Amino acid sequence: MQQTEKTPNVLARTRIWYVLILLLSAIVLVRVFYLQVIQHDYYKTAAYVGQMREYEIPASRGVIEAFNGDAVVPLVLNESRYLVFVDPLHIEDVPGSAEALIGVLGSLDRAEVEGKMAADNRYQVVQKNITKTVIEKVEALELPGVGVQEEPKRSYPHGMLAAHLLGFVNDDGEGVYGIEQALNDQLVGAPGQLRAITDARGIPLAANPENTLIEPQEGKRTRLTIDVSLQKQLEDALEDGLERARSESGGALIFDADSGAIKAMANYPTFDPSRFYDVSIDDSGVFANSLVTSPLEIGSIMKPLTMAAALNEGVVSRNTTYFDPDQFTIDGATVRNVEESSGVGERNMEDILRLSLNTGATWLLKQLGGGDINETARTTWHHYMTERYFFDRPTGIEQGYQVGGNIPDPLDGFGLNIQFANTAFGQGMTTTPLHAAAALAAVINRGTYYQPRLVAAQSDMAGEMQGVEPIVVREAVVSPSVSADVRHLMEGAFSQNYRTYGLSGLRSGFSIGGKTGTAQIPNPEGGYYEDRFNGTFFGYVSGESSTYVIIVRVDEPRIGGYAGSTAAGPIFVDIATTLLDSYGMQPRVN
Amino acid sequence: MTKKNHHRPRRTSPLLSGETQHRRHRPDYSLIIICLLLLVIGMVIVYAISPGLAAQSELSESHFVRRQMLAIVLAIVTFFVVARLPLEIWWRSIKVLIAITVIALLATQFTGSGEANAARWVQVGGLSFQSVELLKFTLVIWLAGFLSQRHREGTINDFQRTLKPLAIVLATSGFIVAVLQSDLGSMGVVAGIIAVMLFVAGVSWRLLFIGAAAILFAGSLLIFTSPYRQERVATFLNPQADCLAEGYQACQALIAIGSGGLFGKGIDRSAQAYGYLPEAANDSIFAVYAEMFGFVGVVVVIALLVALFTRLHRIIERTPSMYSQLIVVGVLTWLSIQAFINIMAMVGLFPLKGITLPFISYGGTSIIFVTAAVALVFNISRYSTFSVIQAKQPNKAARQSNKKGILRDNPVKRRRNGRPHYAYPIRRT
Repeated sequence: MQQTEKTPNVLARTRIWYVLILLLSAIVLVRVFYLQVIQHDYYKTAAYVGQMREYEIPASRGVIEAFNGDAVVPLVLNESRYLVFVDPLHIEDVPGSAEALIGVLGSLDRAEVEGKMAADNRYQVVQKNITKTVIEKVEALELPGVGVQEEPKRSYPHGMLAAHLLGFVNDDGEGVYGIEQALNDQLVGAPGQLRAITDARGIPLAANPENTLIEPQEGKRTRLTIDVSLQKQLEDALEDGLERARSESGGALIFDADSGAIKAMANYPTFDPSRFYDVSIDDSGVFANSLVTSPLEIGSIMKPLTMAAALNEGVVSRNTTYFDPDQFTIDGATVRNVEESSGVGERNMEDILRLSLNTGATWLLKQLGGGDINETARTTWHHYMTERYFFDRPTGIEQGYQVGGNIPDPLDGFGLNIQFANTAFGQGMTTTPLHAAAALAAVINRGTYYQPRLVAAQSDMAGEMQGVEPIVVREAVVSPSVSADVRHLMEGAFSQNYRTYGLSGLRSGFSIGGKTGTAQIPNPEGGYYEDRFNGTFFGYVSGESSTYVIIVRVDEPRIGGYAGSTAAGPIFVDIATTLLDSYGMQPRVN
Repeated sequence: MTKKNHHRPRRTSPLLSGETQHRRHRPDYSLIIICLLLLVIGMVIVYAISPGLAAQSELSESHFVRRQMLAIVLAIVTFFVVARLPLEIWWRSIKVLIAITVIALLATQFTGSGEANAARWVQVGGLSFQSVELLKFTLVIWLAGFLSQRHREGTINDFQRTLKPLAIVLATSGFIVAVLQSDLGSMGVVAGIIAVMLFVAGVSWRLLFIGAAAILFAGSLLIFTSPYRQERVATFLNPQADCLAEGYQACQALIAIGSGGLFGKGIDRSAQAYGYLPEAANDSIFAVYAEMFGFVGVVVVIALLVALFTRLHRIIERTPSMYSQLIVVGVLTWLSIQAFINIMAMVGLFPLKGITLPFISYGGTSIIFVTAAVALVFNISRYSTFSVIQAKQPNKAARQSNKKGILRDNPVKRRRNGRPHYAYPIRRT
């Protein structure tokens, strides 16, 4: 017994096992040496590829604010919304995860969600624009491979107010239309960047020397020139006026003639910028700020500008009279007076505006050519339209999709004389209402063309608000005396016509000038429609220290009378009254 | 010799001593030191990654640390209790032990909490433990007693007496551990313990080859009948085919280890622990450790493990009885196979995963039972056989009993010679 109890056999076999253990230990050590020392670079790269992630730290978009009287109020703020994405690499159970996600997010296409969960791309957005309450439920699911991201959204404390001039921010975070588009680069700021070693869920691990952080630079706070209560009243006046005129669409703006600042600007129909995605693709035209994006033949509101050119060139004076034949034949075509004609007779300068004589405007053009429409007349008038009124190029206002108009070449083309005769009363050329307002402002403010602008101030790098100075594009568009002459003529014409537009009486201390326009609409197939007109009206209200140009555009009104008078005029009157009554304009003290 | 002399040879149970000369002396304290070092290493890793892991599962920052501390305290208590219990008590109460083990194993099927791998856990009150650890412990004691009996009878190779009961135990635990609990790693440990202890107990080489051939045959049959298994084997054989792309998930452990480099990234620089490695604090702790401390750190851990295995081996060589020898063989096999399965799985040398690294892995059950197993060995290390130092002048009695190199000795005389308490064997030839 004792002999067998501790046989060499047992100990020998134990030794075999022990040697085997030592052998395995050696193998393990060799293997670990291979992995950690020889193959180190390979695995270091693999670890880096798997663990290092780059995050863009979004900069919060610049807030947009505006005046309300003397106060400053926010127009566009940011709020947090969330999106849910999936990383197919970490999805463990596609049908189960899809099921759970749909259960929380609601109606999503099951096949689509599963498709995203099985996609090659490691970042698949499942749904956007999710509220915090819903996102907390998603997070509570703790599904591997399902991630949540904050995405900032614009919010609009004033609802749909000024929607066109604001524009909106699309799902990709880009500003489109309006201010958001034009100033996107300044509003968006510069995103920061975090490069970090992360855990498997992508959460950066602290305390890693390889992590680098670039702080985001916030977007610029932008203060607009507009006044929200004025804007509100302008929008109301526009909507009411369009309804009265049974027009589908139109626009109006108020322009500070002495600085180029837009005080209010609106189009109709409008949209809700917080729900821009509700607008179908076919209706996307509604987003455009037509006052700056859609040129039109401005019609008779051109006449004061033609008058200004003739006065400024010295070919006529405020008191000039002439014989009006009630029609001219030029290049075989006839210029007639379509509006408020009063037949053949002796006319003065004010008559041209008051009666809106096309023949009068044509006669003025003839005077620019020394009595006839010729190359001199054409190039001079072309010079005014393009180099002094800047009709053919974008104004530079902070608006997306802004355009210039189309002014015919004075030297090249057929029927140039009749074409230019038409431009003298706003046909056969196009420009935007904003261009017309800016040009009128220059003409009546003693001749300084200010670039139209919407930005009153913007924050600098330190976050301090820095005021934006008016930008003078051209001085001496017309001479000061011509400016006074035009005002005199326009105010004279308006003082005889204002009842037509629904204004009950003029006010002492304030001067109001205005001009209607009823423009024929070109038929794409050639010529003009006989029965379709756009009504326009522009004018100004002038008090002790400020002058505001107002322009109104009414597309194809369906009421009787001339569109400029019956459709656009009353809206102008409404807006002018608002400026006088509630905007606090001070009367002139004589 | 007086009764007061505690160095006198004690005649305890026949299992322990038989008629052999043995003596009681200071136990092998290096066991405690090595195990404590390993526990500390584990604790350090758990401490380092606990906040990060807790953040991922919304637990308190110190959740893992507190539980690990508790496990270590319990393990130390267990150690002193087991180390003081007479060794023979385990064999005497083997039936109770087996009964508890079977109940615990079966209980997993009824107390599952619905979590992943719930079938491996037994819930008792608020506590839970992994029944398979108890199985390993019981198995080592039962096999030691069973095999030493059979060895004494000379029936190790007898099918009815020895192999059949073993086959039944293997099949039963295989069914429970591998099938019901789908814990292939632990099944490997259980099978390894049975195989090695049987091998050491003296099963014939012929049977050994037959068994090995049968396992190889069955294994290849399983692999070649299933495309899924073939794929598994293929991925195992070449796990790092493309760590930068498709194979990314498969080689997270390799990435962790490889990116650690020679000196490691540092204790607070592990990234792989956080979501990339499954069970970072338990099954994958070696990879996290290698990432933090590099090849140098790995050498330290392997050295500690080898030191532990070497101590165990030396104790086997000295311990006086087959029973205690086999217990140490069982513990050695348990710890080594478990450590190697764990580490080799991490370094891509072995396909089975889901097993803890003894002493280092987070998890109370593993730590407590592994410590209990070492406590058995610690107890055994108190006793050694010995031979005469002055072999040239053995006394008559010693010479008479000097068979197969085992000599009587006079411990009192040895002490007079200024010998330390520990008796060094000189049976090395």
